[in-house]
Amino acid sequence: MTQTIIWTIAILTILGALLAVVLYVVAEKFKVEEDPRIDEVEKVLPGANCGGCGQAGCRAFAQHCVQSESLDSCFCPVGGNDVMQKVAGVLGVEVAAKEPMVAVVRCNGTCENRPRTNEYGGYQSCRVKAALYSGDTGCSFGCLGCGDCVAACQFGAISMDPATGLPVVDEEKCTACGACVKACPKNVIELRNKGRRNMRVYVSCINKDKGAVARKACKAACIGCGKCAKVCPFEAITVENNVAYIDFTKCKLCKKCVAECPTAAIHAVNFPVIKPKEE
Amino acid sequence: MMKTFSIGGIHPNDSKISKDCRIEVLPVPSKVYISVAQHLGAPATPIVKAGDQVKVGQVIAEPAGFISAYVHSSVSGTVKSVGPRKDIAGNNVVHIEIDVEGDEWVEGVDLTDTIVTEIPEDDKATLDKIKMCGVVGLGGATFPAHVKLCPPPGNKAECLILNGAECEPYLTSDYRIMLERSKEIVIGAAIMKKVLGGCPAVIGIEENKPEAIKAMSEAVAELQKTAKGYEGISVMSLKKKYPQGGEKQLIDAVMGRQVKSGGLPISVGAVVQNVATSLAVYEAVQKNIPLITNVMTITGDCLPMENQHNYKFRIGMPLSYIAEVAGGIPEDAVKIVSGGPMMGKAIANLDATTVKGSSSLLYLTAEQTVRGVESACIRCGKCAEACPMGLEPFLLNKYARNNMMDELEENAVQDCIECGCCLYSCPANIPLLDIIRIAKGDVIRIIRGRGQR
Repeated sequence: MTQTIIWTIAILTILGALLAVVLYVVAEKFKVEEDPRIDEVEKVLPGANCGGCGQAGCRAFAQHCVQSESLDSCFCPVGGNDVMQKVAGVLGVEVAAKEPMVAVVRCNGTCENRPRTNEYGGYQSCRVKAALYSGDTGCSFGCLGCGDCVAACQFGAISMDPATGLPVVDEEKCTACGACVKACPKNVIELRNKGRRNMRVYVSCINKDKGAVARKACKAACIGCGKCAKVCPFEAITVENNVAYIDFTKCKLCKKCVAECPTAAIHAVNFPVIKPKEE
Repeated sequence: MMKTFSIGGIHPNDSKISKDCRIEVLPVPSKVYISVAQHLGAPATPIVKAGDQVKVGQVIAEPAGFISAYVHSSVSGTVKSVGPRKDIAGNNVVHIEIDVEGDEWVEGVDLTDTIVTEIPEDDKATLDKIKMCGVVGLGGATFPAHVKLCPPPGNKAECLILNGAECEPYLTSDYRIMLERSKEIVIGAAIMKKVLGGCPAVIGIEENKPEAIKAMSEAVAELQKTAKGYEGISVMSLKKKYPQGGEKQLIDAVMGRQVKSGGLPISVGAVVQNVATSLAVYEAVQKNIPLITNVMTITGDCLPMENQHNYKFRIGMPLSYIAEVAGGIPEDAVKIVSGGPMMGKAIANLDATTVKGSSSLLYLTAEQTVRGVESACIRCGKCAEACPMGLEPFLLNKYARNNMMDELEENAVQDCIECGCCLYSCPANIPLLDIIRIAKGDVIRIIRGRGQR
C-alpha cells in the first residue's frame, strides 16, 4: 500500500518535471516577440472591449497606440482624457486633451408631438422596421422607437422612456463610444461635446421635409425657417435641406436661438434654472 | 405528372375571391402624381417643369442610367409641380403632379381594338420601342424589360418562359388578363421570342386556373393557324405550389434546370417575363402605347363580393381614390397590402399613388395579420423544408443574430428570394424573414464592396 503511494508520487513528479522542461523549450522556441509596452498600455485601458475607438478591442487599441507615432489618431472614448494621459505616460509621448463627448438623441417626436399614422405590428427592431418602411408616424426621419440603441449600449446608458417613446441618454454613464450612433438606422443619435458644465444647445430634429410637411408630421419638428441662423451671433447655425444644425465647436451657449425657435425644436440642457422674479 | 419546382415550397390557401370580376377601367381622377422611381435601378430624371402642357403617353422623365426606364404621362393636362412626395412606404420620392384636362393622346398611338398579329422584322427597332415605351417587368421586381431581352454576349436564350403562375394568394389580375387579353399576350410572347433569336416559348400557368390554361391554349392554337411566327409557343400547366412565380422556381419547374447560387437565369439559357409584361410589350410594339396602365386587384376576405374588383388603372392615381371608387375601405380591415399577402408590402400611406408594378389593394383583418408570440426554435426543420432556395433559415437566423457574416455568406444568405415560406411555416413564430432580409442586405453589401476593391 505504502509502496503504491510512493511509486505514484515519484512517477507523477518525474512526469511533471519532464513536461515542464518540454513546455519551457517550446515556449522559448515559439515565442512571439511583442512590444512589452502593449501589455502596459492594455493594463491602463478600461477593458470594455466596446470598439468605440475604432479598433477591434482594447488590446488592438493598445497595439495601435504603440505602433502609431503620435497619439493624435488614438482616443479611447470610454476612458477619456485621464486614460489617454496614462497611455501617453507609458509611451512617453504628449497627448492633447480632447473635449469629452456625449450621445445626443436628435428627435423630439414624443407620442404627443408626433401622432401615429399607422400601427407597426412587425418584429421589434429599428433596423427591420427601417428596412420595411418609413415608420409609424408622418415623419420619415425620426426615432422609430424599437430600441436598437438600448440594445447596442454596453454601459446601460440608454433607456427607453415609456411616456415619450424616445430613448434617454444617462449622461453620467455615457462614454461616447458611438455604438448607439452606429446602431441607429435613422442616424438620429449624434455625438456632441459635453459642453461647459455639461450645458448644451442642439437642434432636436433631423426632419428634412419642407416646413409644412414636417410641422404636420410633428409639432416639435424643425421647419427650417432659419430664424435661429439669423439670430446666432457666432454663425454656429446652418440650415440645410430644411433642417437647422448647430456646430458645437462654434456654439457659445448664448441660447438666443432657443427663444427664437417657433416649434421649440432647439433644446438647451443642463442650464441652471433661473428663478422667476418675485412680484 | 404535372411539373413543379423541386425544392421546398408551401401550400397557402389560394383565396382567389375576385377571379370572376371582369377588368373594369378606372375613371381618371382630377389630379395624378407620377413617381419617377417606378422601376428597379436609378430613378428617372424629370424633363418637364411646372406649367408645361403634357399629353397622354408623353415622356415626362428619362432614364438616369443603364438600368432605368422612361416614365410617361398617364393623363393630359398641366404639370402643377415636380417635387418630393411620400410613396407607399412613406419615403420621399420625386413625383410629377399633373392637373388633368381632357384626355388627349400623343400622336402615333393606336387606340383601336384591332389585334395586330404581324410580328415586326427589325429586332433593333422592336427593342428600341420596348425601351422607349418604358416597359418594365410587371411580375413584382419591375426590372427594365429591354435589359432582360438583351442577353449579355456569350449567353444564348434557349427558352422564353412566360410567368402566368400567379402563385400569390388573392391576386387575380394576371388571371384576368390571361382570360380577356389572351391573344395579345401570345403576340407579346412571339415578339420577345423573335428578339431573343427564335427560342421556344413556354407559358407556365398553375393548375388552379383551368380557364386561363384553356384560353391561352386556344389563343396559341388560333394564332399558329392564322399567322406566321408563332411556332414553338406552348402552354404548360404546373402543379400549384408557392412560390412558383419566383424566377428561379419557374425555370426549375418548366425546364428542370437550376440556376447556380449567384447566377442569372440566362446562365441556364432562360429568360422569364410575366404575362402582364408580355401584354405591355404587345401594346408598346404593335400599338405604340407606352406602359401607363396595368391591372390591379381590389380584394380581401372582409370585402363584400360586389366591392371586389379587377381594375385597369393608370399610373399616378392616388390609392385612396381607387379605394373610394371601389366602394370604400371595409370597417374590419386593419391592414392594406400592395401586392400579395406573402411578398406584398403593407401600405403606410394611402395618399401614395399607383406605379407601373402596382398589383393590388388587399384588405386584411386583424385576425389575418396578428403575429403570434415568438418562442424558442425547436429545430423541427420546417423552415428548411419549406425554403425554395434550399437554405436553412433556422441557421441563418442564428448567424444573423450574432452578426456572423462569414458563416452567413457560406450558407448563401444572399440567395434568399424573400418569399416568406420560412416565416409562414415556423411553428415558433420566429421572425425568420425579417432577420434574414437584413442579413442578406449586409452580406450583399460586403460582397459588392469586395468587388470594388
